[in-house]
Amino acid sequence: MIANPLNSSPLAFPILEVVHIVGFISAVGSAALVDFRLLGFILPRRSPAEIWRATLLWTIVGLTLVVFSGLSLFSSDPDMYYLNPAFDLKIAVMIAAIVFYYTAVRKAVAKAVQTGASRLVAWISLLLWVLVLFGGIFIAFVQSYAPEA
Amino acid sequence: MIVTFLRWLQWTDFFSTLRDWLYSYPVILSLHMVAMSVFGGLILVTDLRLLGVGARTYSISDVIDGLRNLKRVGFVFVTTCGVLLFGCKADEYGFNPWFRLKLVFFVLLVIHHWVFRGSVYSNAAALDSAPQIPGRAKLAGGLSLLLWFGVICAGRGIGYLHPSLEHGITDPRPDSTQVMPPVATESLALNRASSAR
Repeated sequence: MIANPLNSSPLAFPILEVVHIVGFISAVGSAALVDFRLLGFILPRRSPAEIWRATLLWTIVGLTLVVFSGLSLFSSDPDMYYLNPAFDLKIAVMIAAIVFYYTAVRKAVAKAVQTGASRLVAWISLLLWVLVLFGGIFIAFVQSYAPEA
Repeated sequence: MIVTFLRWLQWTDFFSTLRDWLYSYPVILSLHMVAMSVFGGLILVTDLRLLGVGARTYSISDVIDGLRNLKRVGFVFVTTCGVLLFGCKADEYGFNPWFRLKLVFFVLLVIHHWVFRGSVYSNAAALDSAPQIPGRAKLAGGLSLLLWFGVICAGRGIGYLHPSLEHGITDPRPDSTQVMPPVATESLALNRASSAR
C-alpha cells in the first residue's frame, strides 16, 4: 500500500480546507447571486442572463477549486468518508445542486420574463446549495458506519 | 477578569440551553457557512470589480450600491451565527490564539472600512466617471481580499488548537448538572472528530 503524501504533513489538511472554503464561497456565492436575481432581490435593472454571464467564470473557478480540494481531502481517509452518512448525502445533494443549476436555473435565466416557476427554481437551487453546506459540516458530527471486516 | 466574563457568558441560561441541544453547534456552524457563502460571494464580486478583473460589464456603482443591502443582511447573519458559536464555548475561544488572530483581522477590516469609506465605498459614482479605475479603489479591493482571506485562515485554525484549560468544569449555576465536555469537537476532519465522539 502506498502512503498518501497528504498524511505526512500536518499542514496539508488545513491548507486544503482553506482552499475548499474559498472554492465554495466563490461557487455557491456566485450561484446564489443568480438565484437572488431570479427572486428579484438584487440588481433589478439588469437581467438575470447578464448576472449569469458576469458570474459564470467565478462559479466554474470555484467549483474546480472545491471539487479538487475535496477529492484531496477525501483521499486522506477514504473509508471514513464514504462510510459516513452525512458525506454520502452531501455528495448526492451536491451532484443534484450542480446538475439543477446548469439545467433548470440556466433555463429560467434565459427566459425574458420571470414567472412564479422561475422563482420556485431559484428557491430549490438555494435549498440544494444550503443542504450541501450542512452535509459538509455534519460529516464531523455523525458517526461513520463500521467498516466490514 | 476576562476569564470570569467568558465563563459567565457561556454558563448563561441562554448559551447553556443552546449547548444542551445535541446538534445546536453543527447546525449553527452550518448556518455560519451558508451566510459565509452569501456574504463572502458578495465581497468577492465587489473586490474583483474594484480590481477590474470581474463583473466588468457592470459599473462599480452597480456592484457597490446594488449589492449593499444584501451584503448587510449577509453580514448580520454571519455575525449572529459567529457570536452564537462563540458564546457556547466562550472560554475556549477566548484563549485560542487563532480566534484572537481572527479578531485582529476584524479590527483591521474596521480600519479598512473607515479609511476607504469616503473615497471608495460611498463614492462609487465618481469611480465610474474616472477614465481608469483609480489606484485607491484597487488598493481597497486588494486589501479587502487579503484581510478576508486572513479571516478564513484564522477561522479554520481555531478548530486545530484546544487551549489547555481546566476542563470538566461543573456548571456554577446552583441547580444544574451540566458539565462541559473535555474536548471541543469542532472540525471538518472526521478522523479527529470521530475519535472524540
